[in-house]
Amino acid sequence: MASGKSKGNTERWIATILLIIGGFIISLPFIWMITSSFKPESEILQMPPTLFAENPTIQNYINLFTNMNFGVYLRNTLIIVLLSFIGLFLNAMAGYGFAKYHFKNKEKVFYLVLATMMIPGQVTMIPVYLLLNEMGLINTMAGIVLPGLAAAFSIFLFRMFMATIPTDLIEAARLDGAGEFYIFFRLIMPISKPIFAVQGILTFIAAWNSFLWPLIIANDESLYTLSVGLSLLKGQYASNFALQMAGAAFMVLPIIIIFSFFQKYIVEGFTTSGLK
Amino acid sequence: MKKKGLVVPAVLAMGLSTALAGCGGGSGDSENTLSVWAMGEEGKLLDEMTEAYEEENPDVTVDVQAIPWDQAYDKLLTAVASGNGPDVLQLGTTWVAEFADAGALLDLTEHMEDYPDFNLDNYFEGAQTSMKYDDQIVGIPWYVETRTMYYRTDLLEEVGYSEAPATWDELKDAATKLSESGEDVYGLDIDLNDQITPFIFAWQNGFEFDTENPDFTSPEFTEALEYYTSYFEEGISTTSEGIDIIQAFKDGQKPIFFSGPWMINILNDQAPDLEGQWAVATMPAKENNLSSIGGANFSVFHNSEKVDEALDFISYMNEVDTQIEWMEKSNTLPSRLEAWEDPKLADDEMYSVFGEQLENTKGAPPIKEWEKVAQELLSSIERINIGGADLDEELESFNEKANSMIE
Amino acid sequence: MNQLVKGTVRNRHPFIFIAPALLILILFSLIPIIIAFVISFTDMDLKGLADWSNISFIGVENYTNLLADTVFHKAVFNTFFYVVIGVPLVIFFSLGIALLLNYGKNLVFTVFRAVYFMPAITNIIAIAVVWGFLYNTEYGLFNYLLSLADVDKVPWLEHPVIAKLSLILLAVWKGIGINMIIFLAALQGIPNSYYEAAKIDGAKRWQILLFITIPLLRYAIFFVTVTTLIGWLQFFEEPFIMTQGGPLDGTVSMALFIYQRGFQFSEFGYAAAGSFVLFIVIIIVTLLQFKLRKADDDI
Repeated sequence: MASGKSKGNTERWIATILLIIGGFIISLPFIWMITSSFKPESEILQMPPTLFAENPTIQNYINLFTNMNFGVYLRNTLIIVLLSFIGLFLNAMAGYGFAKYHFKNKEKVFYLVLATMMIPGQVTMIPVYLLLNEMGLINTMAGIVLPGLAAAFSIFLFRMFMATIPTDLIEAARLDGAGEFYIFFRLIMPISKPIFAVQGILTFIAAWNSFLWPLIIANDESLYTLSVGLSLLKGQYASNFALQMAGAAFMVLPIIIIFSFFQKYIVEGFTTSGLK
Repeated sequence: MKKKGLVVPAVLAMGLSTALAGCGGGSGDSENTLSVWAMGEEGKLLDEMTEAYEEENPDVTVDVQAIPWDQAYDKLLTAVASGNGPDVLQLGTTWVAEFADAGALLDLTEHMEDYPDFNLDNYFEGAQTSMKYDDQIVGIPWYVETRTMYYRTDLLEEVGYSEAPATWDELKDAATKLSESGEDVYGLDIDLNDQITPFIFAWQNGFEFDTENPDFTSPEFTEALEYYTSYFEEGISTTSEGIDIIQAFKDGQKPIFFSGPWMINILNDQAPDLEGQWAVATMPAKENNLSSIGGANFSVFHNSEKVDEALDFISYMNEVDTQIEWMEKSNTLPSRLEAWEDPKLADDEMYSVFGEQLENTKGAPPIKEWEKVAQELLSSIERINIGGADLDEELESFNEKANSMIE
Repeated sequence: MNQLVKGTVRNRHPFIFIAPALLILILFSLIPIIIAFVISFTDMDLKGLADWSNISFIGVENYTNLLADTVFHKAVFNTFFYVVIGVPLVIFFSLGIALLLNYGKNLVFTVFRAVYFMPAITNIIAIAVVWGFLYNTEYGLFNYLLSLADVDKVPWLEHPVIAKLSLILLAVWKGIGINMIIFLAALQGIPNSYYEAAKIDGAKRWQILLFITIPLLRYAIFFVTVTTLIGWLQFFEEPFIMTQGGPLDGTVSMALFIYQRGFQFSEFGYAAAGSFVLFIVIIIVTLLQFKLRKADDDI
């Protein structure tokens, strides 16, 4: 056992070193993005780029907050995030339905779901807008959120994961007299924590960055999100790179927090006891 | 039985969507609100400008919606498709023809007499192109831009030019000498992605863009393109991305380039040390020294119910005083000729050059296929510069394609 | 009779679970796709969009034009080039990194999980600026490093083939993060008892990896393969921000071609036709994978 452990240690060290080297290379643009947000505009396109600002400034952040209707944009963004989690839940249900039930034409319906991933979004933009227009949802939060609520990627991912949950477990619960919804909420959801965590992260990122629909659907700026607000700072000719980097750095902060929060569920895993 | 299974969630979904509809923004369409779409930063700045207007017209509220430049086209498309547009719309001059052709812009002809500020003669000749589509008046120029030549006075002095090169030959000579003055120096920087530059050269060489049957194999056009591509062939300009133009200008690696008025501020902000070592000049001439004119117009959306209010607002924005105020706020150039008599422009050594150049400008041809034609030409130029294609053959095929694009 | 009612009552659950999401998808994805399909047989442009009476049906003309369009040919070729090289790389690296990250649970590994996720959340403009610098022919870091080893300047983004490879590298870098966390979550789904049993049987590390871990990850690998393929067949953002499809149309992808036709030139009918060609290619590729998997293990 002792020798096995030391061998495991060496391997762990190799893994760590590999990860550190790869991690540094891979995160360089990210680091640059953060440090650039403290650079004056004159330094940002310097060639070769400086990793750290020579004349650091927080002016970009000051501009960022003084130039935006910050409160309104943040509120809208948060509403969208919250509503998206309803979507996450619907996708989980659908994924479970596809994974653990048998019904006629199941695969055909599933292909139909997958097909929605295969068309570039721009092609359907105008038809979706016209539909929302017919439904009277222009200039409403519902119009912004509704089209993105269900996502094939997410349903597919849930299906794949939930398929690995042993069916015996569900059957056993049924024999104990548990209802289908009880099984889903009390058995499936806890077991699926890791995948809920992954989807939670992805849903949050997508909602937090939501951009095109808030812009298209809004008839005034009261429905704009943070991303739309940020892109307004970009001129037609002058690009204000430093300002945009400050905006991007600011946008990324909550994502990192959410990521650290959720990732413990990815790593924690489910204890095997539930499966026995 | 199956149906029943679907009804419950369907009702749920509908309930959800109506509940969500409740939390919408819900302002906008009241009786006296004028909705205005403006782009990017200008949209934000315009919002500040409207206060004065609202004070003068207490019964009207102006609601400016700022739209990011990169997504403006998407937003306009949905507006055109659904008819859910604003009352007043800021439109880049190169988009005017396309949206006018689609019938998205109100014909202002019958209102022209009521609003003296709209008179065509108030505006630069080049800008008048963008006001008209077919026989309609579809827009009023709000601000304009034109391309001039930015150059390093000190470096040009070193190669014997105490004045800016004034002709094609001088430009070529100066750029050649500059290129020879050091390694990695490119005497003239030409932006290969800029759609209008090849046409500027062509205009200067006497080319006329016939909007029905343009002839791109004419000697005027061919010669201009020969001149344009010769810079790349001789290594005076580079097809390689290299470094950002501001830094290259600062380092002296790209001492001459063509650009618009926005560059003044960028240079002042990003290269403050360079002050006094650079200047702008009007375009070097061949037959003439025409440059392009662009900028943005105000248009009224075709189904606006507040046409009078919209026109009144546009008229206010285009008064000479408002234009000057806007210029100071946004650093864009006024479209009104009269505004240029103001000392803030006339006595400014940079702006006055732009004023002079603006007198000699042409607008992009008012055809809806403009973007496509211009992009096709850039592809042809790429094939000549990088792919080594023959210029005459490329122009022949470009001519054919362009003419088939234009209806 | 009783049996039948029972059966339906029992069968209603899958519909209740699936219906909400499915309804939304039908409404906001499938119906628009059908509309777009109809549009692909018309000459719709901006004028047609404004007033539908300006639209006329032109049969399959858009499709025949597409087949004759040399730029589209290049776009098809480039797209397959991206997919064939890029997809295996993404899967290999994201799986490899996930396996490495799964080695430990201490702080270092926690931090690096976040680090490897960073490209997925880096602002696209920052990516363009930084990678633009890395790839810059004259001043770029890559060429500087190569010059230390006496290698000539490589025209990273200025040669049609090399530019494609450069964009693939960038896209792989960007694509690792999301797939990695999916693999990580999947690795968590493998009960420890499997490993322990293998260890007791004296299995070596690589044997465990090859015969236990990888087979148990087959769902995740299948998922990542399908979605990555779909994603890469729609390869768009990288050429859009880095090269705009140049040089000499060497990096233009099908999705970029569609975007340029539709949203720069307003040829909506033509763009829709392009989308459907792409759509059909993706469907064929995806169905093929499902069929292969069926043959592989019947679930």
